[in-house]
Amino acid sequence: MKPSAFEYLAPETCEEALGALAEHGDDASVLAGGQSLIPMMNLRIAAPRVLIDVMRIGELRGIRSRGDRIEVGAGVRMTEAEHKAGVPLLQRALRHVGHPAIRNCGTVCGSVAHADPAAEVPAVLLALDGEVVLRSVRDERVLAADDFFRSYYTTAREPDELVVAVRIPASAARVGFHEVTPRLGGSTGEFATAGVAAAGERDDGGRLRRVRIALLGVADRPVRAREAEKLLTGAQPTADVFAAASESAAAAVDPPSDVHAGAAYRRRLVRVLTRRALAELAA
Amino acid sequence: MTAISIEVNGTVHELDVPPRLLLTDILRDRLGLTGTKIGCAMGACGACTVLLNGAPVRACLMFAVQASGRSVRTVEDLAADDGELHPLQRALREHHGLQCGYCTPGMLMAIAPLLESGQPLEPDAVREAIAGNLCRCTGYETIIDAVVEASRP
Amino acid sequence: MNDWPLYAQQRWAGKRVQRLEDPGMLTGATSYVTDVQLPRMLELAFVRSPVPHARITSLDVDGARSVPGVRGVLGPAELANVHPTMDFVELEGALKTPRIALPGDRVRYVGEPVAAVVADDRYAAEDGADAVVLSFEPIDDREPIHEGIPDGRYFRQVAARGDVDAAFARAACVVRRRLAIQRVVTSPLEACGIIADYDPADGELTCYLSTQMPHLARAAIAEALALPVSHVRVLCPAMGGAFGGKEVMLPEYLCAAVAAIRLRRPVRWVEDRSEALTAGAHGKEADAELEAAFDDDGSLRAMRSRFVSDTGAYSSGIGAYVEFMVAAYSVPGLYRLDAYALDTGGVVSHKAPLSPFRGIGMTTSQTLREVLFDDAARALGIDRIELRRRNLVDDGPWRTVLDEQYEPGSWRTAFERALELIDYAGFLDRQAAARANGRLLGIGISPFVEAAGLGSAGGAGGLPGTSHDNATVSIDLSGAITVALPTFSHGQGHRTTAAQLVADMFAVTPKEVRVLDGDTARTPFGMGTFGSRSGVFIAGTVSQAGRIVRDKLLRAAEVLLEAAPEDLELVDGTVGVRGAPTRRIPLAALAGAAHFAPHVRAELGDPTLTASAFFDPPRPTHSNGTIAAVVEVDPGTGGVTIERIVVVEDCGTMVNPMIVEGQIRGGVAHGVGLALLERYVYDENGQPQTTTLAEYLLPRSTDLPAIEIDHVETPSENGTAGVKGMAEGPASATPAAVVCAVLDAIAPHGDLIEELPLRPETIAAALSEG
Repeated sequence: MKPSAFEYLAPETCEEALGALAEHGDDASVLAGGQSLIPMMNLRIAAPRVLIDVMRIGELRGIRSRGDRIEVGAGVRMTEAEHKAGVPLLQRALRHVGHPAIRNCGTVCGSVAHADPAAEVPAVLLALDGEVVLRSVRDERVLAADDFFRSYYTTAREPDELVVAVRIPASAARVGFHEVTPRLGGSTGEFATAGVAAAGERDDGGRLRRVRIALLGVADRPVRAREAEKLLTGAQPTADVFAAASESAAAAVDPPSDVHAGAAYRRRLVRVLTRRALAELAA
Repeated sequence: MTAISIEVNGTVHELDVPPRLLLTDILRDRLGLTGTKIGCAMGACGACTVLLNGAPVRACLMFAVQASGRSVRTVEDLAADDGELHPLQRALREHHGLQCGYCTPGMLMAIAPLLESGQPLEPDAVREAIAGNLCRCTGYETIIDAVVEASRP
Repeated sequence: MNDWPLYAQQRWAGKRVQRLEDPGMLTGATSYVTDVQLPRMLELAFVRSPVPHARITSLDVDGARSVPGVRGVLGPAELANVHPTMDFVELEGALKTPRIALPGDRVRYVGEPVAAVVADDRYAAEDGADAVVLSFEPIDDREPIHEGIPDGRYFRQVAARGDVDAAFARAACVVRRRLAIQRVVTSPLEACGIIADYDPADGELTCYLSTQMPHLARAAIAEALALPVSHVRVLCPAMGGAFGGKEVMLPEYLCAAVAAIRLRRPVRWVEDRSEALTAGAHGKEADAELEAAFDDDGSLRAMRSRFVSDTGAYSSGIGAYVEFMVAAYSVPGLYRLDAYALDTGGVVSHKAPLSPFRGIGMTTSQTLREVLFDDAARALGIDRIELRRRNLVDDGPWRTVLDEQYEPGSWRTAFERALELIDYAGFLDRQAAARANGRLLGIGISPFVEAAGLGSAGGAGGLPGTSHDNATVSIDLSGAITVALPTFSHGQGHRTTAAQLVADMFAVTPKEVRVLDGDTARTPFGMGTFGSRSGVFIAGTVSQAGRIVRDKLLRAAEVLLEAAPEDLELVDGTVGVRGAPTRRIPLAALAGAAHFAPHVRAELGDPTLTASAFFDPPRPTHSNGTIAAVVEVDPGTGGVTIERIVVVEDCGTMVNPMIVEGQIRGGVAHGVGLALLERYVYDENGQPQTTTLAEYLLPRSTDLPAIEIDHVETPSENGTAGVKGMAEGPASATPAAVVCAVLDAIAPHGDLIEELPLRPETIAAALSEG
């Protein structure tokens, strides 16, 4: 399991990186943390001819406030985000990503760009109405998470674009996060069979407001359970309400079957985990 | 070939490497530090764990070029120069926290940073902390016992 | 002299001595095969079949030869003179599947090696492998995998004792369970590996080989390559686990050897994880069925078993017969049984060939039997513990319905102790209260027996087998003791155990005893380590050889001290006269005298303080124990949490209890993997689906609870120094305890469980809508 040969570029400015992307396009892959890319290269499932290492670019590092948003640069490793980003749902979810050594290298933006439908970070971004900032030699654009994630490992990113940051609205929202792996109860770190990332608020009367539910592992990309969200808007957080919302969320998905789990089980997990995530959120 | 400068166990090495040379292989084959093991080459087993600028990372998921300008520490650096074992190594031995020994270097490097704070560790926290390191021999428990003890001076 | 007690002192055997192996392993100094660097060494990568069943139409290696760094390519033509590998089984009706190292005509499983590329490093070797063009045409699925085995069934044995049919006809209660036992991968953390190094000057082939059986591997390599055995050396500095997966003679090893011979440079093949999972040491897969007939008072009257092992593409490896024969022959276990019928055998298939895997067929029979007992308990309305109590044999010797003679053990005592520790009665109350709150708790109990230390006469599991093990003990001129073992540790700490024994035999300390294993040039012939045999064979061979050397030592002392034999004692590295502390001679002086003092030499006859002794135990040992497990099942997700595992183990006299407990915990971990996590899946087209550790799930720390251990000690009557073989018992018996516990937890919902492992999805499906 040794990778194929490639040309290695380690630009020190964003401009250099974008120039390289413009030049090489699909022949190039971006190397950030490498925790998703390098396993694929070791297995020779991926064999890019050019690797553009973006981790030496100073302007991509750092977590910043941008108005009402928290901006996490492409150079921010998951461990740093876990401890410093100040985004509770992200913090909850990151504990489930791989293991500490993986998080010490892997990046938040890298996970977003990789777009594994069972990954935690994309679902969190979706649940928080986050945005993806893309830059190329041509321009910069900001996409809503829902517009960014298209399908399995497929995003709206053009070959000459770089994900330079994600932006997450700062909020005091309550959160809930539950996922299931094929392992024994309580085990984290393995690839999720299915999961739910939820955020929401309670108004002065205790009713639920602005509930957002994102599902991972049950479609070709993270998806919002919008019908369920509608049911919850303005509702009291009771067991019946949660049950109805979870049923709705489960009914709205058509999960894939693969070696890890069948569609029926994934649908069941949506129902069970949505209920639990909502209970956690409302508590 | 790319020129890199990498500090390993306190010594700086200036080397020319092909970009695709993995950190595991530069350590093991170029520098003869075979303590770091390769178990899966995709980050799942933890046998290749080393410290990069003090933090545990998977050496199998890093190219040597990425580590240029950085500091790497491997299991060979844990014991003292005179051979005296690091308290964690001693504790593992006392508790029979190793059998075939293949997971041990990676396990040690994943755990060593946890002891730096000087805070005593609880068994559940240790069990969680080593969840990224596979062991096929011990059932983990004696490793946990060893780490708990080593965390209490 | 040979009346002397085995031990001259009792300071080390029986104690938790820290292992001599550890400092090297802890500091990264210990070398495994993958760490050995030889000058001019090349690396080998294989081209492997991407399809399960096809005729090879062409193999074009020209592209590979011109890849930078490639030094050679081997295909079937280069391996044409290598003899096929064959199993040694002499059972009637066994159809053979000789294995050619590189098949030229057809491939039989995904991952089968078809060509080998040798290069300066593994990177270049894989580049070369990518450049090989393999063309093939599919073979009709109806065409047999091997000519001569038209239906794929290469062996079947049917046997019965007692009047089974009548017992079933009369029975008040008949229960039956069929389980698809999953395919697993042994997955030691260090996968397989070999460095082959040929010296043309003296025609000697040296193989650094990660192997459980250095001498047998040596003989197999020599035979395959038509070299005299004495021209081959197999050695392994240390092995990173094996668990049965490093017993088989792999074609990859032979390719590396041929490459080394042709290229006149050392050639290394390191099995990477991808190869290990796809084409490596698979285990266990079987279609298993068991029926039991009970009277209405719960007395077991008869059982019928049916096992069909899915052996994979070749039955010529060691993993084939041991699986289904041991499964069938270990069904009776610790229960009184007068009538038993077995129907067992194997089929070939388009999958990787099976290897033995810790516990082999015992795991399957134990799981099925204990699940069936719980089924019977529910059907009869008798508590599952009561049902077992009524049928467990009493402590003491026992002759089974299959004429296997168990030496005395603590079958009932260990069972009751486990129940005490798990607080069975208290648990039942907890379980009822939990159910009222919607929580699903369950308990499983699994009493087990393990035969080990089988010599030629052992023949347990219906397999013919022969055994030849020697140890060599020697004392050099500096008085240092060296022991060379017939076994080879995969991590079980043999060096420490043997050093403890020898230290007590010679009244020295373990640090002063040098122990050699794993090198055919430095050890006498031995069968290696598998089947929990090492404890028995180390104790047996070392004590025999040690006695002879000690005898010579004492006779030399007799001469030098002019004392009578009954007045001599061994103390602190000396031989002295009892009661006369000034009259002591250190071992070094005795060795010197034995070598150079003519009057001493004359007394000894053979003046070398060296002896090799052979040990072939007439009867096997039987260790036993009971595993109890408490689990909780999440009614929503089907996820399992193991709350407690309790193990009561009786392996006779323990030389190093710390090492024994390590084996128990490691075995339990394997058992949890088999029950709940590990499965290797092929799709309907014979394509593997679980090809990385992200899909093939090995137990992690967070999957396991703390494992509680208690010991009973019934010294062996058959094993030297009371030692019984152990280490597969807990591994084989844990899946039963865990599976029974899960089935108990979901019992009110019924279960449609037909396969292992019990995954959350399977469990959730068995539960009503959560």
